[in-house]
Amino acid sequence: MLNFIPVLLVIANMQALQPVIIKTPELEIRFMPRTPNQMASFYEARGFPKDMVDVIKRQCYITVGITNNSEQRIWLDLSKWEFSAAGKPLEREHRDSWKQRWATMGMPLSKQSTFRWTLLPEALDYLPGEHEGGNILLPFTREPVSLTASFASGENKQGKQIIITTDKLYCAEDAQ
Amino acid sequence: MTNLPARMRRFFFILTICLFIFPDDSIYASEKTGDIKLPFGIRDYDIGAAANFSLKDIDGDSFELKSTKGHWVFLHFWASWCGPCRKEMPAIQLLADILQDESFEIIMINTAEDENTVFTFLAETNVELKCLMDADGQVTEAWKPRGLPTTFIINPQGEVKYQAIGGREWNRPEYVNFLRQLIADKRYY
Repeated sequence: MLNFIPVLLVIANMQALQPVIIKTPELEIRFMPRTPNQMASFYEARGFPKDMVDVIKRQCYITVGITNNSEQRIWLDLSKWEFSAAGKPLEREHRDSWKQRWATMGMPLSKQSTFRWTLLPEALDYLPGEHEGGNILLPFTREPVSLTASFASGENKQGKQIIITTDKLYCAEDAQ
Repeated sequence: MTNLPARMRRFFFILTICLFIFPDDSIYASEKTGDIKLPFGIRDYDIGAAANFSLKDIDGDSFELKSTKGHWVFLHFWASWCGPCRKEMPAIQLLADILQDESFEIIMINTAEDENTVFTFLAETNVELKCLMDADGQVTEAWKPRGLPTTFIINPQGEVKYQAIGGREWNRPEYVNFLRQLIADKRYY
């Protein structure tokens, strides 16, 4: 029975996690914070080395799903997403930076590749009706996380600029 | 109408004939410009020659992309851990069944998984498609699919023409008809 207690604690905590959903006339964005144990389970199940999993567990992990509900193309550009916590910028780590980190640690190329495919692309155009997602990683913080994100729209990015803001994001933690 | 001047009657007559000849916008566009109407989720991706690669399939046989010249290629990047990839796999198998006698080849590239994982997955999903093993993920990296799953559609001359990001119900009529229009387009042979 004792073996089940940590599992039950994790499940109890997972049930408490709530997504943050932002809707505009053009976009729906869903942010789902993931706990370190959730992410560790995901990567361990795919044979990731312990060193990689240990690094991943120290991050603030949020799964993002974006749906284009408009009639025009919408452009994601993560360089135009600004995160902050407690009034200070919270720097998201770029996928190239992760690539460099894993290479320095000598991690297997296959696992480096899989890791990158689980990230939200740095840039992506969403056709009308399209939905795509991925994960973003931030430095872990217990403070509420704010975000201001800007999207271009139109075939040549010359349409209306769409700006979304929230101060309701957070980093998920496992139950102690 | 009978009171209209002769020139105007002739104009309406020609207009009516045109509407009968070109009742469908997509056909009109196709005949007029050579463009084919794209179904949902397919985007123009005219990036030129497809980068060649050599990979082994799940049976250990070598395969080079350039060997596919002469027919359309559906180059699909996937992984078994990716939910939309798993969901669309049966639809790709159905598409392969539908177009099996056409000048069309489906090439699946598994991204960075081991042979046991891929073998088990394909067996469970009852999929019998040519599956190449990009064991270290480097071919996928070179092709930059921007996400998984992603499909590239390559013409018989070996040029990338279209891209689809995310899962699609490939066996639906709009996709099958789109691919059949491509296959029938004599400009590419």
